[in-house]
Amino acid sequence: MGMNMLKKGDAILIGVFAVVIVISLISMSIFKNSGENAHKIAVIKMNDRVIKKIDLDTVTEPMEIEVSGAYNEVILVEKGRIRFKEADCPDKLCVKFGWLSEKGDMAACIPNNALIKIEGSDKKVDAVTN
Amino acid sequence: MTKSFLIILCVLLAVSFSACSNSVATPYENEEFAMGTIIRQRIYHDNAEDISRQVIDRIRKIEDRMTINKAGGEINKLNSSAGKSFVELSEDTLFVLNKAKEISELSQGAFDITVGALVKEWDISSGNSVVPSQERIHSLLGLVDYADIIIDKSGSRAKLENTGQIVDLGGIAKGFAGDEAIKVYRENGVQSAFISLGGNIVALGGKPDGNSWKIGIRDPRGAEDSYIGIVSVKDKAIVSSGDYERFFERDGVRYHHILDPKTGYPADSGLIGTTIISDFSIDADALSTAAFVLGLEKGMDLIKKFDGVEAVFITDDKKVYITEGLKGIFEFEGTGNGYEYVEKG
Repeated sequence: MGMNMLKKGDAILIGVFAVVIVISLISMSIFKNSGENAHKIAVIKMNDRVIKKIDLDTVTEPMEIEVSGAYNEVILVEKGRIRFKEADCPDKLCVKFGWLSEKGDMAACIPNNALIKIEGSDKKVDAVTN
Repeated sequence: MTKSFLIILCVLLAVSFSACSNSVATPYENEEFAMGTIIRQRIYHDNAEDISRQVIDRIRKIEDRMTINKAGGEINKLNSSAGKSFVELSEDTLFVLNKAKEISELSQGAFDITVGALVKEWDISSGNSVVPSQERIHSLLGLVDYADIIIDKSGSRAKLENTGQIVDLGGIAKGFAGDEAIKVYRENGVQSAFISLGGNIVALGGKPDGNSWKIGIRDPRGAEDSYIGIVSVKDKAIVSSGDYERFFERDGVRYHHILDPKTGYPADSGLIGTTIISDFSIDADALSTAAFVLGLEKGMDLIKKFDGVEAVFITDDKKVYITEGLKGIFEFEGTGNGYEYVEKG
C-alpha cells in the first residue's frame, strides 16, 4: 500500500530495539576483550584452601607474605610476578622454581602443602608431563 | 509492509545479539596435594567441583592402601609379613600387584616393584646425598625378585617369599590412580577432562570443541613446564620417566631415582627421559620406568610388544626418537633447547 508514515509509537519501538542492539554489541566486545587483556591473578593456597588472591598487575610496591604450615615460607610479590623467596623446608624446591610470571605458572612446596599459581593459561599446551 | 519488515528485522537483530553468549565452555580447574605430589584436574561439566572431590577422595583411598611412606595400609602389611605369612588384600592392591608382575615378566625384570629395599637404602627423597657402599647394594640385590611376590588368587591374598623383601609401588600406583580417576569422570558423564598426577597425565576424550588435548613432553634438562615436543591426544595417558625427577649429585655424578633392579644402581642406559602414550595410565607408568632402565634399543623392542602403546625416547646426547605410531601426532619442538629429532629408518 505504499510507505506508511511512521507513527510516534513506532519510532519509539524501533529506537528501543536499536538501543538494545547497540548495548549488546558493546557488552559483547567488552566481554571478548576482557578475556584477552584480563589481569594476572596470583593465587596462594595452603592445605588446598585459597588464602589470598592478588592482582599482580596492580601491585606497585614489592610485598612479602609469610605463610606457616609444617614449614615457614616467605612469598615475594612484585608487579606482574610472584615467587617463593625463602623457605625452611628440606629441599627448597619451591624457592628454586623462581619467578612465576605467566598465566598458568605454578610452584609448590609439597612438604608444606603450599602452592602459588597465576590463574588461567595462554599456553600452547594443556599440560606438560613430568 | 516496509514498516512491519523493519520491526521484524529489529526484533530479530536484538534477539540474536542478546542471545549471543560465550560459546566456549569454561572448565573447572583445581590443584590438591595427594600421593606426595600435586594432583591437577581440568573438568568440563556442570557438576565439576563435586566430581573433582570424588576423584581426590578415591585417590587418597588408593594412597592409604598402597603407600609405604606413611603408616597403615596394605602394602605395609605385605612388607612386614615378608617371609612369614600371606596377607589379605583388596581388589585394588591385587590388581596392581598382578599388573606389576606382568610388566616385570614382559620387561624381563627391568621393572620390578621388589626394589623397595634398595630404594629405601638410596633414600633419594630425603635430601641425603649418600651413595651406599657396593657391599650393601650387593647384599640387598638378593632381596630383589618379582617372582617372590606370591599371589594366591583364590584366597585374595599375597605374600613376599623372603624376610626383608619390600614392595614399593612408587612406579605404578599413580598410574593406577589415574585410570581410577577416569572411571569416576565416566561414571559422572564427563566427556572432556584431564588429570595430572605429579606429571602423569591422563586425558578423557578431547577438548569440548572436538580438538585433541595438547600435551607437552617434558624437556629433561629444561625448567618445569618446558617441553621438547607436543603430542595431540584424545583418551590417552601420557607418562614420563627421567633422571631429572628426583636425584642428587656427588663428585660430578648424578644419582637419580630410577634404579636398575639388576645392578642396584640408578639405571645407566644412555637415556635421560622416556615417555609412554597408552590407553591406560597404569601401563604407561610401569612401562616408562621399564623403558628407561632398558635403554633405547631394548626399550623400543619392549614397547613394540604392546598394541597401541607408543613412546618417546630421549638419549643423553639429546637425541629424540619416537615409535612409528606417533608420527603425525608428535610435533618436535626441541631444536631451540639443543635437541635433535632422529627419524629411525
